[in-house]
Amino acid sequence: MLEALSHLYLPGALTLWCAIFFGVATLWGYARALRDDGASLGFARSGYLFFTLSILLAGAVLFLALWRRDFRIEYVQQYSGMELAEHFQLAAFWAGQKGSFLIWLMWGAVLGLPLLRTAGRSEPTVMSVYLLTLFGLLFILVRENPFVMLPETPMDGAGLNPLLQDDWMVIHPPIMFIGYASAAVPFSFALAALWRGDFSTWATRAFPWALAGFLVLGLAIMLGGYWAYETLGWGGYWGWDPVENASLIPWLIGGVLIHGLYLERSRGRYRRLNLVLSCLLYLSVLYGTFLTRSGVLADFSVHSFVDLGISGWLVALMAFFFFASIFLLATRLRHVPTRTNEDPMLSRGTALVLATLTLGASALVVTFGTSAPLITGWFMESPGQVGPEFYNTVNMPLALMLSILLATVPFLTWRGVEPGKLLRRLVPSFLAAVAITVLGLIIGLEEVFHAVFLFLAAWASTANLHRVIELVRDRGVVGIGGYLSHVGVGVMLIGVLASGAYDQSAKVTLPQGEAVAVDDMSFTFTRFIPRQGREKERMEVLVERGNDRFTLYPKLFVNDRTRQLMANPDIRTTPLQDLYVSPIQYLPPQPPRVDERVDMAQGERVRIGPLDIRFIDYQVEGGDPRVALASGRSVEVGAVLEVSRDGDSQRLEPIFRFRSDGRVETPPLELAQSGTLALTGIDPNSGRIQLDILGVQADELPARLSIDVTQKPLIQLVWLGLAIILTGGGLSTLKRFKTVRKLDEQEAAAAAVG
Amino acid sequence: MNDTTRKTLTYLLGATMLLVFAGFSYSKFTSALTPYVSYEKAIESERAVQVAGGLEQGSSMYDDTEGLLRFTLVDPERPGETMRVRYEGLKPANFEDAISIVAIGQYDAGAEEFAANDLLVKCPSKYQGVEEYDEKSYGSESAPSVEPAMMTTNTAASSG
Repeated sequence: MLEALSHLYLPGALTLWCAIFFGVATLWGYARALRDDGASLGFARSGYLFFTLSILLAGAVLFLALWRRDFRIEYVQQYSGMELAEHFQLAAFWAGQKGSFLIWLMWGAVLGLPLLRTAGRSEPTVMSVYLLTLFGLLFILVRENPFVMLPETPMDGAGLNPLLQDDWMVIHPPIMFIGYASAAVPFSFALAALWRGDFSTWATRAFPWALAGFLVLGLAIMLGGYWAYETLGWGGYWGWDPVENASLIPWLIGGVLIHGLYLERSRGRYRRLNLVLSCLLYLSVLYGTFLTRSGVLADFSVHSFVDLGISGWLVALMAFFFFASIFLLATRLRHVPTRTNEDPMLSRGTALVLATLTLGASALVVTFGTSAPLITGWFMESPGQVGPEFYNTVNMPLALMLSILLATVPFLTWRGVEPGKLLRRLVPSFLAAVAITVLGLIIGLEEVFHAVFLFLAAWASTANLHRVIELVRDRGVVGIGGYLSHVGVGVMLIGVLASGAYDQSAKVTLPQGEAVAVDDMSFTFTRFIPRQGREKERMEVLVERGNDRFTLYPKLFVNDRTRQLMANPDIRTTPLQDLYVSPIQYLPPQPPRVDERVDMAQGERVRIGPLDIRFIDYQVEGGDPRVALASGRSVEVGAVLEVSRDGDSQRLEPIFRFRSDGRVETPPLELAQSGTLALTGIDPNSGRIQLDILGVQADELPARLSIDVTQKPLIQLVWLGLAIILTGGGLSTLKRFKTVRKLDEQEAAAAAVG
Repeated sequence: MNDTTRKTLTYLLGATMLLVFAGFSYSKFTSALTPYVSYEKAIESERAVQVAGGLEQGSSMYDDTEGLLRFTLVDPERPGETMRVRYEGLKPANFEDAISIVAIGQYDAGAEEFAANDLLVKCPSKYQGVEEYDEKSYGSESAPSVEPAMMTTNTAASSG
């Protein structure tokens, strides 16, 4: 027993065991509370408080270990290092799988505290389901323990991947995990309602939570997109990669759910569907985690996902909640009271139903596309995948449909409107959208389809803006949340169109000190700035555009950890567009005479001054070296090289000779134009060879920097639109939490009377 | 038209739209799908596919002025089966250390080689941390003021 424990860091491991203990106690307390009319609620709540404290303590222990750089702990060794700056210790916390699950669990536990206060009479059942979801994560952590210790204490850690040493990476993942954790809340309300057979208030109570989760996940996706844009240097913010889709799918389902809950609250519709949607929301979070953490997509993504042995756990967890949901839905759903659809055609109800269908269709196609390797693996001969093209094309009609709905919905009422009246109400926003489209055509819209897209997106914004203005004028800010969000959706769609379809890109090579013109700008590569402390190698590029002069510093450096060449773009942001400069390649200046020592592996190719050298193969002569040397013969090891200069190539076979008297000879060979080459070393372990190249005469060349220059018009609208969506959603969330408080008061009053 | 027929018509219209969209998505899905195939099939195929394999030692040639990479893939399961690949774009860093390369594109019968639009390069994995995030890196061998990349491992995949 003790031996099995000795590889764990006890303070950390203890906190996890305490969490299990208090979690079980809480479950027991809630189970009793179901039968003793709430007398055990106090016990259960204290149990939950201690459960939460234990988990927070586990997080604190891991954080302290990172802070103190306690490399005894494997996780610390893997993600931290002596060189790592203090504030990136936080990024190291969630850089790995174990830390990610821990932060997810921490948020889950913390969210449970306000949850038990807003669950009302259903608290015992809601909290029991909720605790079970947390137990799933807790078991994964006990199995894949972040507190595993190494047999020996290393001097230094492996360090954190430099891509994650970024301020956005300090805040993006934890926000993402708040979103993931919050998906369990509507799920718990739904399962609890099914379990108790009481469907009267769950939607009211789950609504603000669904909204808040939707917001937080949206914020996280936006931060992730911005990180990709400003750090990765491939020029975009969204690439439809499985990792991105794994967070988008729950977000889209969350979008369907909040509109469904709105329909249920306002019209009593979607009562059954919302229960299903709440289950789907949580299951989609688990499914996304499974896709990205289990290694099933290893061959299909640039992220080389690895299976750390948790895929079995994730599958078990998914299966458990899937079958629990199916069982409860199958047995209880028919007891849910429904209301027949009496909404007129031209009414808000119809528009909302269509909107949920549209968002749902988008969620479905993204899920289908992301799962393509799995689905095709089952049903087809050879598994395959789909690229961004698929997602863009398929979502396009959905975005148009959504825009039309968004434009009309502010002026539709539940009871329906006369078509004539609706049209009159739509006139101002229609004219505004036409004006925007005309402006777009003047600026340079090229395709009719783009004009249609711009018009509809603009109309979605202007119509909702119109309604927001009316509401603020008549009733203040209460109730503008939804409309304000919809203004943001239109703005964001315009930004996506402009920056996606109208970006201009050019690859240019800049000789140092020489101005090169691109479009109406001039670029001068002024100098290469070597690494200074933690600041990576940077390129100084002076940009002139009319009277505007500024300097950009794109980075190009070798990742210390992976030895991979990394490029970080630099961005000049102006209100109307971003100038995005991403470095591609840097060639150091070439001196007039080249003397250099290089080492290379077989198959490798290097460029030395004007020479291009390829190491093709070895050549060993003289038989077994030991026999040869013992019998007084010498042993020769040769390398077969191909050396090209200015298009002429030459085959060279330099040799490295061990003589029987112990001396070594490395005869230099003449190169075609000038200089010599000799094989001066062979590393028997790595198989690498060392070459000495001397006296190569070359033309003096300045350093050259190749960059990718992209102008992204109106990309600010993407971020602005998202910010508006989030602000509007925030207002709605506050409003819906107030409704819950009112419900609490009513229930308290009813209990007092009863 | 009374209310019931109107409602039935609405549902019919909705169902038709959904069906049309489903059909549209499915056709896009099948046309966008790039299946994983053997070299033999890739040569026959008339659509974009993906082929995978190991890098044949010493087969890679990179022209850094044109940004043109050529190399030969070897099928790990059927040794002897090889495929010449051409890729227009920057050579992924540490390309020579790759343990497996996935090339997405189409076979060019004229040039008798596979024209790749995209490469996914997997390098030997020692660390587990790097896989979490995308490393879409650009690069050539000529790195500034750094010693040549030694035989260290590289977890992250890269695509050009």
